[in-house]
Amino acid sequence: MNGTIHVENIEKTFKGDVRAVRGVSFDVADGEFFAFLGPNGAGKSTTVQLLTTLLKPTSGKLEVAGYDVNKDPEKVRLSIGVALQETGIDPDLKGRELLEFQARLFGFSKKEAKKRAEELLELVGLTEDADRLSGKYSGGMRRRLDLAMTLVHQPKILFLDEPTTGLDPANRKAIWREIKRLNKEEGTTIFLTTQYLEEADQLADRISIINKGQIVATGTPAELKRTLGLDAIVLQFDEEEEAISAYDAVATDEYQTERVKNDVTILAENGTSILADVIRKLDERNLHPAQLNVKPPSLDDVFIQVTNEQKEGGLNE
Amino acid sequence: MNKQQGNFFSDTLVMTKRSIVTILRNPLIFIPNLAISMFFLFVYEAGLSGIANLPAFEGANYLAFILPVSIVSAAIGGAGGAGQALVKDLDNGFFSRLLLTPSSRLAIVLGPIIAGMLQLVIQAGLIICVGFFLGLEVAGGALGVVVVLLLTLGWGLAFAGYSVGVALRAKNAQSAQAGTFIFFPLIFLSTTFVPYELIDAAWLKVAASINPVTYLFEAMRTVLIDGFTDTWPIVLGFLVIAGLCAITITFSAVSAKKAVSTD
Repeated sequence: MNGTIHVENIEKTFKGDVRAVRGVSFDVADGEFFAFLGPNGAGKSTTVQLLTTLLKPTSGKLEVAGYDVNKDPEKVRLSIGVALQETGIDPDLKGRELLEFQARLFGFSKKEAKKRAEELLELVGLTEDADRLSGKYSGGMRRRLDLAMTLVHQPKILFLDEPTTGLDPANRKAIWREIKRLNKEEGTTIFLTTQYLEEADQLADRISIINKGQIVATGTPAELKRTLGLDAIVLQFDEEEEAISAYDAVATDEYQTERVKNDVTILAENGTSILADVIRKLDERNLHPAQLNVKPPSLDDVFIQVTNEQKEGGLNE
Repeated sequence: MNKQQGNFFSDTLVMTKRSIVTILRNPLIFIPNLAISMFFLFVYEAGLSGIANLPAFEGANYLAFILPVSIVSAAIGGAGGAGQALVKDLDNGFFSRLLLTPSSRLAIVLGPIIAGMLQLVIQAGLIICVGFFLGLEVAGGALGVVVVLLLTLGWGLAFAGYSVGVALRAKNAQSAQAGTFIFFPLIFLSTTFVPYELIDAAWLKVAASINPVTYLFEAMRTVLIDGFTDTWPIVLGFLVIAGLCAITITFSAVSAKKAVSTD
């Protein structure tokens, strides 16, 4: 058993010909922190379910911890810890009971299970609330308890499917700190999915961007910014109609333009050189942005760019 | 490292214990079930006991005749609750967490099934107590009561297995509830209110003879009314229920494997 993941050309097609995952391949090294970044419906959760024995692939090869997921699902389950997007907590049990229950199912004796539960409660800061019903916990507490449950058997590989979605910044930071520690100090391999670029940027050694069931870019955060990063001109308007008109005014084939509500983002290799052009076009239509910024590439822009190219048929379809 | 595969029996025990704790923490769900099955016993006894004077009853006590109906119908609340518990687990994501443990899929479904069965056996015990209070006489004596409870145990496993299997296929409370409607033909297309010889409609006779519940009724009634003079209906009752258990529990364990996948 080791902490590696090997995925070769997996496909998952659901009933009704919904192709959730379409030929994904990647490798994760022992002890690596790997992130899957993509919008809603990109195929992130499906990939996690395929890797963690919850779903069977339509085709392709999957190896987790050195075991074939199809042939040895039990061995895989012993080696991995999984925190799904939706927390897996029985609200009728207390925090401590849930941890002891989980430990018992991973072969701990009653005594060992008690001890392990105590350690984990301490680790995630739930000692004081251990004997309250988990149904009465706040969202952040539930997340922390859920994480503690996935750690019961000290898994070699940790799968975290959008672990901070819906959390306030304080709880998000607490979860980040803990998964960073597990990766750095205990050498746990981590496979994280997220919609938040900041999260992937901050935590991961390597990122794959997934969109519509396919990986569209892979690299370290720095590499992605360098190879794909373009300057961004961000125009913010007071009214959405203005933003729509502005989008029509400035959108050309020479650079990418994206509008999200009142914001128009223009991505170009050399932002400052086209700035004058953009302003002239806005002036002609008598449009005045409330704010205008030129930013060097952020991972956010990489993300928009990559998913956009795909939308426009740049990479696939 | 502390990890190993737990064994099947300890996993089943841990799962069952957890299901029982969950039931006990929701008394508003199981108490009405208890009340309803006793209510039926009162109503049937009060409204229908006159027909025991018909010759085909051979002087049998109607209370002893109708008691099995009360016990078997208690399953819809008791054992049927296992399916509802499972829908809850699916809804709050706990079921996925269970599937991610190394426990066998059979142990995972057996937890709620056994808890549901125990609930039914306790209900049956209470129904029998109420029966005694109403003047029930059991020809089979104390051993007879034990046999009735054992048959109830089998029926509880079978019905809970069915309701868990349906819940895993349906994945929502409404459909799982709809699945328990099979219960009505099971209970009423049988020798529910009168013995086989008194059933008038030919189609109902056919339905009753292929309905497994008929054999359960017959086994219980034999013990309650005639004791152990003729053991064949009792043996047949156990055989039919054992077969039913094997089918429904296999159905639920197989459904567990497919519960999360949407294909």
